[in-house]
Amino acid sequence: MNSLDVRGMACPLPVVSVKRALEAAPGELRVLLDDGAPRENVKRFAQGRGYQVQEEPVEGGFACTISGSPKREAAAAERAGANVMLFGTDRMGDGPEELGRLLMKNFIMTLVELQEVPDRMLFVNSGVLLTVAGSEVLEALEALGNRGVEVLSCGLCLDFFKKKEQLAAGGVTNMLTIAESLLQARSVVRL
Amino acid sequence: MVKDGDYVAIFNSIHRVMEAERLLKDKHLKILLIPAPRALAADCGLALRYAEDVRSDVEAALAEAGLLPRDLYRKSGEAFEKIGEKV
Repeated sequence: MNSLDVRGMACPLPVVSVKRALEAAPGELRVLLDDGAPRENVKRFAQGRGYQVQEEPVEGGFACTISGSPKREAAAAERAGANVMLFGTDRMGDGPEELGRLLMKNFIMTLVELQEVPDRMLFVNSGVLLTVAGSEVLEALEALGNRGVEVLSCGLCLDFFKKKEQLAAGGVTNMLTIAESLLQARSVVRL
Repeated sequence: MVKDGDYVAIFNSIHRVMEAERLLKDKHLKILLIPAPRALAADCGLALRYAEDVRSDVEAALAEAGLLPRDLYRKSGEAFEKIGEKV
């Protein structure tokens, strides 16, 4: 059985790590996690995908054993590749800046309400301004992360805007991963 | 995006909700412009969300500026309770 220790990780990293581990090596997975939000989020995510979840208290947290196989739709989607959204800007559409920013914010928050969410959200250029401290969509990005959405920002872009230290949602990525993600995706929605 | 006990204010137009957001942010009140929940009809599709602890400050500021929302709701469980006809 594979195992994973996500104790001490901030949300949504526990869910994202579990998702990655399940995709990389299907089968039983034992996860050590903190009680509270990480435990609830991982359980909800795994059960939502059709896995069985068993929990037991252990020293310093909980052990959660994820077994079975994903629902047919989830398994088919995993095989077919990821649904990727590429955010190349912090605005939606052409027009007044204020309206564009408002629409982008509204779009990301609306994703939280949908049943089907993207597998991965990639932020490049001024899109990274959406994932750093002060952004108004951090709460929405965390909620999406807790549903297994991978949120990744371009490191070079964060550096350009001098916002590397202010990243507040998801992780940092590079052009290699971005290019691979786009080429291997089942669908790409570009904003 | 809306937790139990949160308030959701619906406005008549995009311009009013944006003006209200600007006003409240200038006063450093903790509000968030959100997509209007599906259950609540909003012409502009946007709403302001705030919590109980800032409710009186938010509503006093909106009243003073003549920016009263069209409707105000409070999230209660899975439902939204309408609070009066106007704030």
